[in-house]
Amino acid sequence: MKLTVNGIGHEVESHGLQSLLYVLREELGITSPKAGCVQGGCGACTVLVDGEPRRSCLTPLAALNGAAITTLEGLGTPESLSVVQAAFHEQYGSQCGFCTPGMIVATTALLERTKKPTRHDIEQALAGHYCRCTGYVKIVASVEAAAGGAKK
Amino acid sequence: MKAVGARLPRYDGVAHVTGKSVFVDDVRIPGTLCVKALRSPLHHAGIVSLDTSKAEKMPGVHAVVTHKDVPLNVYGHLSALGIPADEPLLAEDDVRWLGQPIAAVAAEDEDTALAAVEAIKLDLEERPAVFDMRIAGDPDAPQIHHWGNWYPHFEAEMDVRQIRKGDIDAAFDAADVIVSGVYRPAAIEQAPLETQTGLAVPEADGRITVYSCTQALYFSMGVVAAHLQVPLNRLKFVGGTVGGGFGGKVDTAAEAICALLALKGGRPCKWRWTREEEFLCSSTRAAWHIEIADAVTKDGWILGRKTLTLHDAGAYARFSPYGVTKHSFHHTGAYSIPNLHFDGYVVFTNRSPTSAMRGYGVTSVSFATEVHMSRIAKELGIDPFEIRLKNANRIADTSPNGIAYTDPSTVPTIQAIAEAIGHELPAEYRAMTPDPREGDLLPEHLAAQVGEVDH
Repeated sequence: MKLTVNGIGHEVESHGLQSLLYVLREELGITSPKAGCVQGGCGACTVLVDGEPRRSCLTPLAALNGAAITTLEGLGTPESLSVVQAAFHEQYGSQCGFCTPGMIVATTALLERTKKPTRHDIEQALAGHYCRCTGYVKIVASVEAAAGGAKK
Repeated sequence: MKAVGARLPRYDGVAHVTGKSVFVDDVRIPGTLCVKALRSPLHHAGIVSLDTSKAEKMPGVHAVVTHKDVPLNVYGHLSALGIPADEPLLAEDDVRWLGQPIAAVAAEDEDTALAAVEAIKLDLEERPAVFDMRIAGDPDAPQIHHWGNWYPHFEAEMDVRQIRKGDIDAAFDAADVIVSGVYRPAAIEQAPLETQTGLAVPEADGRITVYSCTQALYFSMGVVAAHLQVPLNRLKFVGGTVGGGFGGKVDTAAEAICALLALKGGRPCKWRWTREEEFLCSSTRAAWHIEIADAVTKDGWILGRKTLTLHDAGAYARFSPYGVTKHSFHHTGAYSIPNLHFDGYVVFTNRSPTSAMRGYGVTSVSFATEVHMSRIAKELGIDPFEIRLKNANRIADTSPNGIAYTDPSTVPTIQAIAEAIGHELPAEYRAMTPDPREGDLLPEHLAAQVGEVDH
């Protein structure tokens, strides 16, 4: 099975019903997608599959032949943060950090399809992402900052 | 003072937003085994027999541990303070809550570990369970705990945390009105996004490296060293990156069993609890039952308070005696009540053991006190802001346990709330400060409780 992750091609060995989360974390050692609930509830394992946010814990490998996967690691580096990463950092949108990979990946997908999201758009895009620390206010502020709609 | 008031970047912020933060589950050590536990399927039962021989022989299983493998099985979170211990790391004679660990296995992969747990033969004799702390103390209630159904080891071997301050009978004799209320905050799971996770690595020099998501690293280190009966210098703890805790990661959860399996199996052992285990088996905030009766004057002074608190410890004591002690010290909330009669019990039930969460022991009684203040105001027909400001803690007022407050913030806080919601206060209440009581704000009943403050 061929899988492209963050622009790098991999030949993966897991069986077809293995979850993408397992393949990324245990087979490829890409650990930003988190195993928060492993039942599709929390959003911490979210990655982009051909640009669309997907719960990697519920996505079987068999559904992904030839797909391009993007994880948080593929969006930017400490030396060169993406706009969304920089906004989450500057607006304190990340506290313990465990939900952050899913939040940033989902926000990146939102801003790809909607340059100027409304508050409602942001809430819809992040509705399936649990954060237990922030109370969400700073996360929404981070998304607004990334979209250029909020003061720094 | 470059930092105070400045908006500084988080030291771990860049790592968080780039996926570089290493949580316990992200640590990669070659040869790491997967840990799973056999947990009690019943709320309360005697263990008739436990046979792990089939699981031990399964291909891919490297270690199985039961209570027989633990050098010191019963060790309490407060043992280091000399408080007797009650909870086994792995159940021995009985199980007292659904999810209590009985045995644990370390295997090549998750499927093998789950199959090995399945292969352990466990014979239980179900016993009646108690879930309501209000009936746990009844004479005919089933006995849950070998100490009896409430904690008997407060100072001087008392079975209750007491506070006696002032003259409670005189306060109730002098009252115009007695206002009573019962408050019952429910149990809450802390629900961090990262479930309890531990990783123990046996090193070539005989030491064990433990990766922990604990909120209390050195505390966990002591607990693991005690269970294993090894000196602290055999352990190296790595922690600090916690995927949310909220009090739920103060108790040591996965580390000791991982370390035990790592020593027995000779391989790194990782245990990541499932979300289901996190909800069913990890500690929660306790449920509380708080009964308050206040002796009150018509013009809104609170002369005295009688309180009965029941704290649901769940199946074992853990930190509950400490939680109830904090609760007792704070049981008048942000207000000065000079005459007090407080009794607090740590009650055992067959619910998951309870522990810290955000203001351990205090939030329950703050909730009760605030609702009760509004209840008194309503009963007397007094403005709820004014009654709070009148009785608010001020400099040199003393707490239930006799500590003089040096910098109480109650008065400005309540004034700020009134302003924020547009609640009009009379001039005398707007002018109030936290300064020591005098004049009309120092009635006779509050004079004796005023303490000394060093300036």
